[in-house]
Amino acid sequence: MKGRQPDPAALAELRDILGEEGLRRDMLLEYLHALQDHHGHLSTRLLAALAQAMRLSQAEVYEVASFYHRFRIVGEAEAAPAGRRVDVCDGLVCQLAGADALAAALAADGGDGRIGRGACMGRCEQAPVAAADDSYIGQADPARIAAGLRGEIVEDRAPEVTFADYREGGGYDLLQQCRNGDHEPDWIIGRLSDSGLRGLGGAGFPTGRKWQLVRAEPAPRLLVVNADESEPGTFKDRYYLERDPHRFIEGMLLAAWTVAADEIYIYLRDEYPHLRRLLQRELVVARQAGIAVPEVHLRRGAGAYVCGEESAMLESIEGKRGLPRQRPPYPSQSGLFGRPTLINNVETLYWVRDAVNDGGDWPGQRSFSVSGRVREPGVKLAPAGISLRRLIDDYCGGMADGHQLAAFLPGGASGGILPAELADQPLDFGSLEDHGGLLGSAAVIVLSDRDDIRAAVANLMRFFADESCGQCTPCRLGTEKAVAMLAAGPADAAALADLAQVMADASICGLGHAAANPLRCALRHFPGAIA
Amino acid sequence: MPTLTIDGTEVTVEAGCTVLQACEEAGVEIPRFCYHDRLSIAGNCRMCLVEMEKAPKPIASCAMPVGEGMVIRTDTAAVRKARQGAMEFLLINHPLDCPICDQGGECDLQDQALAFGRDASRYVENKRAVKEKNLGPLIRTMMTRCIHCTRCVRFATEIAGVEELGATYRGEDTEIGTYVEAALTSEMSGNLVDVCPVGALTSRPYAFTARPWELRKTESIDVHDAVGCNIRVDSRGAEVMRVLPRLHEDVNEEWLGDRSRHAVDGLRRQRLDRPYLRVDGKLRPATWDQAFAAIASRMDGLAGERLAAIAGDMVDAETMLAMKDLMTALGSPNIDCRQDGAKLGGRHRGGYLFNTSIAGIEEADAILLVGCNPRWEATLINARIRKRWLAGGLSIGLIGPRVDLTYGYRYLGAGPATLAEVAGGDNDFAGLLQAAEKPMIIVGAGALSRPDGAAVLHLARRIAEATGMNGGDWNGFNVLHGAASRVGGLDLGFLPGEGGRDTAGILAGAGRGEIDLVWLLAADELDMGQFGDAFVVYQGHHGDAGAHRADVILPGAAYTEKDGTWVNTEGRAQQGRRATDPPGEARQDWAILRAFSDVIGQTLPYDNLAALRARMAELAPSFGRLDEVAPGEMGSFGVEGEVDATPFASPLGDYYLANAICRASSVMAECSRLYLAAGEGTGTDG
Repeated sequence: MKGRQPDPAALAELRDILGEEGLRRDMLLEYLHALQDHHGHLSTRLLAALAQAMRLSQAEVYEVASFYHRFRIVGEAEAAPAGRRVDVCDGLVCQLAGADALAAALAADGGDGRIGRGACMGRCEQAPVAAADDSYIGQADPARIAAGLRGEIVEDRAPEVTFADYREGGGYDLLQQCRNGDHEPDWIIGRLSDSGLRGLGGAGFPTGRKWQLVRAEPAPRLLVVNADESEPGTFKDRYYLERDPHRFIEGMLLAAWTVAADEIYIYLRDEYPHLRRLLQRELVVARQAGIAVPEVHLRRGAGAYVCGEESAMLESIEGKRGLPRQRPPYPSQSGLFGRPTLINNVETLYWVRDAVNDGGDWPGQRSFSVSGRVREPGVKLAPAGISLRRLIDDYCGGMADGHQLAAFLPGGASGGILPAELADQPLDFGSLEDHGGLLGSAAVIVLSDRDDIRAAVANLMRFFADESCGQCTPCRLGTEKAVAMLAAGPADAAALADLAQVMADASICGLGHAAANPLRCALRHFPGAIA
Repeated sequence: MPTLTIDGTEVTVEAGCTVLQACEEAGVEIPRFCYHDRLSIAGNCRMCLVEMEKAPKPIASCAMPVGEGMVIRTDTAAVRKARQGAMEFLLINHPLDCPICDQGGECDLQDQALAFGRDASRYVENKRAVKEKNLGPLIRTMMTRCIHCTRCVRFATEIAGVEELGATYRGEDTEIGTYVEAALTSEMSGNLVDVCPVGALTSRPYAFTARPWELRKTESIDVHDAVGCNIRVDSRGAEVMRVLPRLHEDVNEEWLGDRSRHAVDGLRRQRLDRPYLRVDGKLRPATWDQAFAAIASRMDGLAGERLAAIAGDMVDAETMLAMKDLMTALGSPNIDCRQDGAKLGGRHRGGYLFNTSIAGIEEADAILLVGCNPRWEATLINARIRKRWLAGGLSIGLIGPRVDLTYGYRYLGAGPATLAEVAGGDNDFAGLLQAAEKPMIIVGAGALSRPDGAAVLHLARRIAEATGMNGGDWNGFNVLHGAASRVGGLDLGFLPGEGGRDTAGILAGAGRGEIDLVWLLAADELDMGQFGDAFVVYQGHHGDAGAHRADVILPGAAYTEKDGTWVNTEGRAQQGRRATDPPGEARQDWAILRAFSDVIGQTLPYDNLAALRARMAELAPSFGRLDEVAPGEMGSFGVEGEVDATPFASPLGDYYLANAICRASSVMAECSRLYLAAGEGTGTDG
């Protein structure tokens, strides 16, 4: 009665795919990816074989596999899906760009692919976006999707700044100086603190202080790079990695050197397969050019926004479901595998070299991922504290033709939604909170008079409901209930406000705390659209 | 020892405890669903939120370690609001079906909704529905009621050691279940019902039979094994409706094995409710007078050495002493309380006790298991070993049948040869025991209930001595008993007297015509075909093997129907209390013997239970120290001698059918069919 026993053929097949070496618990997600890459889905017979080979219970393997939306489990009784799979981005920006109509058209057309939806794919400047299996297609329309299915759309390309270019511009000099003993770790930390560099993943924790805290913990220590960029509207990490990966790599190596981490984990969202290949290539290039690189574990996410939350990410790297941990202890004390762990976002590390070199003179510009109703969406490097109006007019070529600014999201789905009247407020940490907004990852989504605020809020709340890990009561039930109430017609504003309050006060992690922001902002700034 | 202020009152607590525990210490009640003090902290229900000075948001008190100078408030408007919110959320999808829910009246959600919730919900949308799960014949699921506290998952993986429960999918799609829809293979699955704070998991056998407020609750002691688990017997009228564990930190903590909990339907079936007499080969109903007269007439003129008595595995000490006194009065030395033939007993208690004590297991750093399957023979002792193993730094070796014990161990060998190796220092586990600070050896019935049992015991003793298991306050030598009656019997000397016969001798003597009358005290685990022409009196509560062989049946009381004393494997005497009356004409067992002694003019010298118990305490001081464990003297025990090459065998063929009560239970029959007959053992599939 202990459940299905794996058949010998499945075990043999598993060995063919994963190799003969001993399997490691923390590699569970990687194995699931390997199996899915091979078959296009996960069959329960291979899951049973994997459980046996890893000496895990079947329940444990299944709970992990079913947690991540990128894994497609096919039961024994179900037929293996035929044909290829097309997912149309479900994010707000793509919705504004007609993703719903695109998905409907594809479904009506039939074709040879299966049509689904996927959470924000991080290419919002190219909206609408679709994925044909692992090929991502910007400005998607049926013709381009067909081309993508034929393999004609490839995102992989050499970085704009190659290793040689980067080296020529003085790249890796700072790292070499550190390694030669020219600088002390404390000097690096001091310069970072002087520069005012703060975590650019969204929380804005002072980087120098974070490094200091981790360094003060007993060795062995680890470095984890959060490359799970998945806040809807955010694509700056992708942008920088595509263009200038070595600036990031040097920052990463400086971090590892400063806190004396002997191993590095990079947790990269699975929707960026071209960056996985790029990082693999460029790390080899750096090593071949004589840059010593400690062991780097490049791990794939699997479609779970909550894994961008640092403690959920640690769980995921350990091969588990991405449930945020209780704090204390903090990751700096007990992080990955229980070791003191420094966790930094890609962009934070990207700026480390400049921040250290410039110290107090570092200009501290901010990378805004701008999308939505502007003429020229994209990553805009602009002074911190710039207003939305200047950002649109000076950096984005103004509003898109025929659109008037009506509302904007300053920090992706989590940052809330603000009215056009606040377009002159500085966009910075600390300046939007009074109005219910958060800068977060500086993902600015611009809405116009032609957009439906209620539909936008519903899209954002559905995103959080899809992405809630389900661990804690307020987030699990609150996100789902908000979706249901918004769908049901005019809502009881007082009940919605209480719902939002409980989510913000009582959830375990930042996802739950922030999930109510769009709702709270809308109730405050656009009451007519909700109630 | 940090000091913190809770609602204005200073309280000093142990470092490392949580704010929730500190609040309890301060006498402040904190509502909770997911928190359980014996399980890992999940912190997911968010019911235990409190305010902490300087924290921007309320904190989950169950997950927050205390710190010096913390200022906690549990009585503010914000805290009330947060709790009301969490409560309202939990009820968003929880069906309001309390009138048809078995948890009603003892439901945390119900109680806390009343104490901390709002009076009405503002959420009118449909509630979600979740498919039922198959968690075996003991647990009924209503997963729509689940509030995702994950206590059950944590219990199964942490305490029971079966990783078959999990939470699949995510967000509001999350479901608790066994992924393969298989019944949960644990002998501790009944505890899932206790840990579930709502009515998602309820007892299947007890389903819709009673409401908690209708039940009379009697605190008693379990007798399905020799652990001495503390239980509460819930009865209504003459019927035992259910058995629940009762907290005893040193014995069963707050858990109970499935056999002890769910064999209660066996108390209603196959009962001996009137005396019977065998007439012309057939058992016919009789009166007490007729039954006593028949025995007296068969006994008349028999020399003491032609009489014998054997006590079964669930008999209370009071009954055994009355039997012993009666046999002594009749001049018979042929009495034995070891129906399995274990080579145990004697003056030195240390030779037959679990000397380390159950709680003491948590201090051990090496354990050698010899000829036992604690998972079946003493489920809660196995759980304690697992608890110690999970804490890390424990080496376990096993000699005997290879079984799945829910923890890792080194398999050393199958039988006495390996034991001799360890004793001779020829096995590296001996070195490991030697190096350990607090090593233990646990010898089970599988090693002792065999002809060479005394020599095996001697070898075990040698290992204990050679590896320094006795020293200072530590005694690492342990005998694991499977029978609740056994230690009490040994303490009272319910053993062959001078020139007397043991169980094997009684059977052989009866077969050869040297024993004419055998009195079986609820002894059923014997080969009844060996009694030859002997006249068999069976005094017991169930129509099992012994009753079928009997010439006279005297209907006695089952453990829930008597005030009795049992001594557990540690030597801890505990008193069970009568929850219901024995059925029909059945009587208290010691009183039956007292009445019979009167009939034959050998009146036993006690008229009431108090007098009998006074005599017990006189004979064996352990009975005068209830619920205490006294160090057992080691003295000499065991006999140096040849050991047989036969591997140790498990004495228990089927966990679910271990005794007459279990064999009368249809619930146990169902479990046995499902878990064992299918060839998928819980404890023997290695």
